[in-house]
Amino acid sequence: MRKEKEKKIDGTLLVTVWILLGLGLVILYSASAYNGRVRFHDPAYYFKKQLFASALGVIGMYAVAKIDYRRLFALAPWFYAASLALSTAVLFFGSEYNGSKRWLKLGPLSFQPSEFAKMAVILFLPWVMEHTKGRPDSLWFMTKAVLCTLPIAALVGSNNLSTAIILLGICAFLIFISHPGYLPFLGIGGAGIGFIAVFLMMESYRLERLAIWRNPEAYEKGFQTIQGLYAIGSGRIFGCGLGKGLQKLGFVPEAQNDMIFSIICEEGGLFGACLVIAVFAVLIWRLMVISIHARDLGGALIAGGIMGHIALQVILNIAVVTNTIPNTGITLPFISYGGTSVLFLLGEMGLALSVSRDTD
Amino acid sequence: MGYSMRKNKTYHRKKTVLLWVLCMGMMVGLAGRLVYLCVFRSVYYSEKADDLHERERGIKAARGRILDANGEVLAANRTVCTISVIHSQIEEPEAVIAMLVKELGISEETARKRVEKRSSIERVKTNVDKKTGDTIRSYGYAGVKVDEDFKRYYPKGKLASRVIGFTGGDNQGIIGLEVEYEEILKGINGKILTTTDARGIEQNGIGESRQEPVAGRDLKVSLDVNIQAYCQQAAEKAMAEKQADSVSILLMNPQNGEIYACVNVPEFDLNDPFTLQQDTTGLSEKEIQDLLNQMWRNACINDTYEPGSTFKIITMSAGLSEGVVSPNDSFFCPGYKIVEDRRIHCHKRTGHGAENFVQGAQNSCNPVFIEVGLRLGVEKFCDYFRNFGLMEKTGIDLPGEASTIMHKEENIGEVELATMAFGQSFQITPIRLAATVSALVNGGKMVTPHVATDVLDEEGNVVKHLNFPEKEGVLSEETSRTVREILESVVSEGSGKNAYLEGYSIGGKTATSQTLPRSANRYISSFLGFTPAEHPTVLGLCIIRNPQGVYYGGTICAPVIRDIFSNVLPYLGIGHNSQET
Repeated sequence: MRKEKEKKIDGTLLVTVWILLGLGLVILYSASAYNGRVRFHDPAYYFKKQLFASALGVIGMYAVAKIDYRRLFALAPWFYAASLALSTAVLFFGSEYNGSKRWLKLGPLSFQPSEFAKMAVILFLPWVMEHTKGRPDSLWFMTKAVLCTLPIAALVGSNNLSTAIILLGICAFLIFISHPGYLPFLGIGGAGIGFIAVFLMMESYRLERLAIWRNPEAYEKGFQTIQGLYAIGSGRIFGCGLGKGLQKLGFVPEAQNDMIFSIICEEGGLFGACLVIAVFAVLIWRLMVISIHARDLGGALIAGGIMGHIALQVILNIAVVTNTIPNTGITLPFISYGGTSVLFLLGEMGLALSVSRDTD
Repeated sequence: MGYSMRKNKTYHRKKTVLLWVLCMGMMVGLAGRLVYLCVFRSVYYSEKADDLHERERGIKAARGRILDANGEVLAANRTVCTISVIHSQIEEPEAVIAMLVKELGISEETARKRVEKRSSIERVKTNVDKKTGDTIRSYGYAGVKVDEDFKRYYPKGKLASRVIGFTGGDNQGIIGLEVEYEEILKGINGKILTTTDARGIEQNGIGESRQEPVAGRDLKVSLDVNIQAYCQQAAEKAMAEKQADSVSILLMNPQNGEIYACVNVPEFDLNDPFTLQQDTTGLSEKEIQDLLNQMWRNACINDTYEPGSTFKIITMSAGLSEGVVSPNDSFFCPGYKIVEDRRIHCHKRTGHGAENFVQGAQNSCNPVFIEVGLRLGVEKFCDYFRNFGLMEKTGIDLPGEASTIMHKEENIGEVELATMAFGQSFQITPIRLAATVSALVNGGKMVTPHVATDVLDEEGNVVKHLNFPEKEGVLSEETSRTVREILESVVSEGSGKNAYLEGYSIGGKTATSQTLPRSANRYISSFLGFTPAEHPTVLGLCIIRNPQGVYYGGTICAPVIRDIFSNVLPYLGIGHNSQET
């Protein structure tokens, strides 16, 4: 433990998180009020649950920020093992919602192990890299990281492909940062594209997804995408005003979830949407700054992994909502409805803050 | 921590920055994509979205009224209300239930079921009085909806049912004037555009726009409630006395074609047009529909019959016009006439003996008219038949007018010609007969019989006077006068004497025809009369179908017309002879 210099945490990151959290709750309330009223006779139904998880998350964030990340780092294998256990448990005891078995129920609380898995990977992969002997540009170094990610990615991916993609993405981020070379990644990138192509060809429904992406109006399954586009287009420059959107009235299905960014566009317009993107940009910038100023590789990789996690989800989510890429269910961090998600995102922010306390 | 951690080397930092730059680049790219969607595609997408959110709710236009010649209302609208509850908007369920029970007279159980049902909108009661609807609205409870609608209402009930007609569920005309003048009566529906959610539930207070409905025009008709009612009464009396299947009475102005009355008893109730008078248990839907269609038929217009002796007016006019016969020509009736190899009987088997043409008409002597028909010949007879409009529909402003059923000209032999001369072996509608005879007695002007006269606005101003085609010169004025004189003598001295009315000059002709098959011994009796004989302004036709007992038209129909004339003529201000000069 370094006792000589007790540095302060990254204030900008903390403020950004608070802004994002507040913004997220307001937007969530607007987007979910209709569904809450219709389904539970309580417009604040989703808001209240999210608020509870956020409160819990904020406490967690401050607690984690206080702890030296290296102590948590040492516990990484246990987190990883727990995440594997929980992801296995959900396969057997999970409860279904909207046709996916993703939740573990514990009384009134429900828990989504896949969200926990992201944090576990962000901690565990740096730990593996830290504890791998030999040069970081060796093949073994890379293979080991991939091998460590695959089990959890496979478990999670069996019923939540999108999260598995995020996990693999974080893994790729971390390997890229830890590896001194550039050229091999061009090869890996090429191989990845080839893999995706084969993966798509294997199942016709995935090709159908591509067809829907290219012309969503021609397909019944393009409904969600089209409704999102209607919302975005309706927003124009400054939007119709917070709370005044119409697309959330059952037109965009589950407006509080993956498609919430379309509601931001409808109510806040291009201006509001760019503002939200800018806040994320600031967050990602601070995470990058924390990563490059971290004293040791462990801290740098943790902050880098978190940066990768947030950036991937934000980019993929907005890309899906704007129909830039084919539809896949990825939530918008801090804003989409999901208690477990916001809880662990705040936990990750705590980790990043903890890393930020010990930078040069 | 017992081990020394790896250093965060420069290349790690470089690569993190590189990844960050890549991410920022992608985010800028996505922002660019948003610019495209929010600016360049926004018109397209927002229009599509508006289509999705907006719902059109129609506001029915008030249908125009139908008014009789004196402005009495024959068809009008009644405002009725539909009461509904919207579960999600109700704030005081108990108060609402109590109010519904009190105002609508429904049981508490029913009201509670409606109020507590978790549906988007629940209809509690339809066809509620406007007064009750207004009362319910005045309570001002949230979640209670009162929608107004129009329902067609016929204050005179059964009167002229088949002429006026009625409307269906969407207030569209189904029969009679209601369908014939649909475009004038219906008006233009308005609409309310409201914003709805995906379930189609209206969202309060967002973007409502209204387009007001335009009420339909009123229609003024030549029917006169008093005349129609009197004729209906006379028809009902005749039907009861003769235990007949049905009785039709048509009263019109032969000078311009305006119809004063058109009665077909039994009439049906226009406020309840879907209820049959007979028992319908065990009948299929189709059978019931057929019976309804049967009930709705206007026998004066939709059905044809063999006119019988009233048709002799046409044969007479053709013969006189062509000059093949003159009033003083002598005939001899032995009780029959042999045509080719057939012996065609006169209704008087013993024969009328020696008679001139006028006496032949007074006697309604078949051999006389057969002789006139044969003198005309097939070609001339058919020319007159056509010229008198008998091959065409009259063009009356009521739907479903039937066409004449007639031999093909090339198939007409002497025998067919002979039977046609006294009104048998072909069929025409009563309105066709009345229209043609009108032309023959009014000086030769073919008029179009019609019911509607004017289109009125809400204040009663004439927006449009309806004109119907007329054709002059169907018969010469002189021949027409001769026909009138002969027909007046039929009433004053001949078979139509039961229509004679002291002080009035009435012309007319009786008819009795056996319906097909002849073996059934069923008859149609009729009388056609007009007055004043010198310049007819009222023409009446009475038809009794399947009378029991005495079935001669002169005996049973002529008195009906006399009775009607004796009451209607003073009402119309048509002078008594003694009061003239």
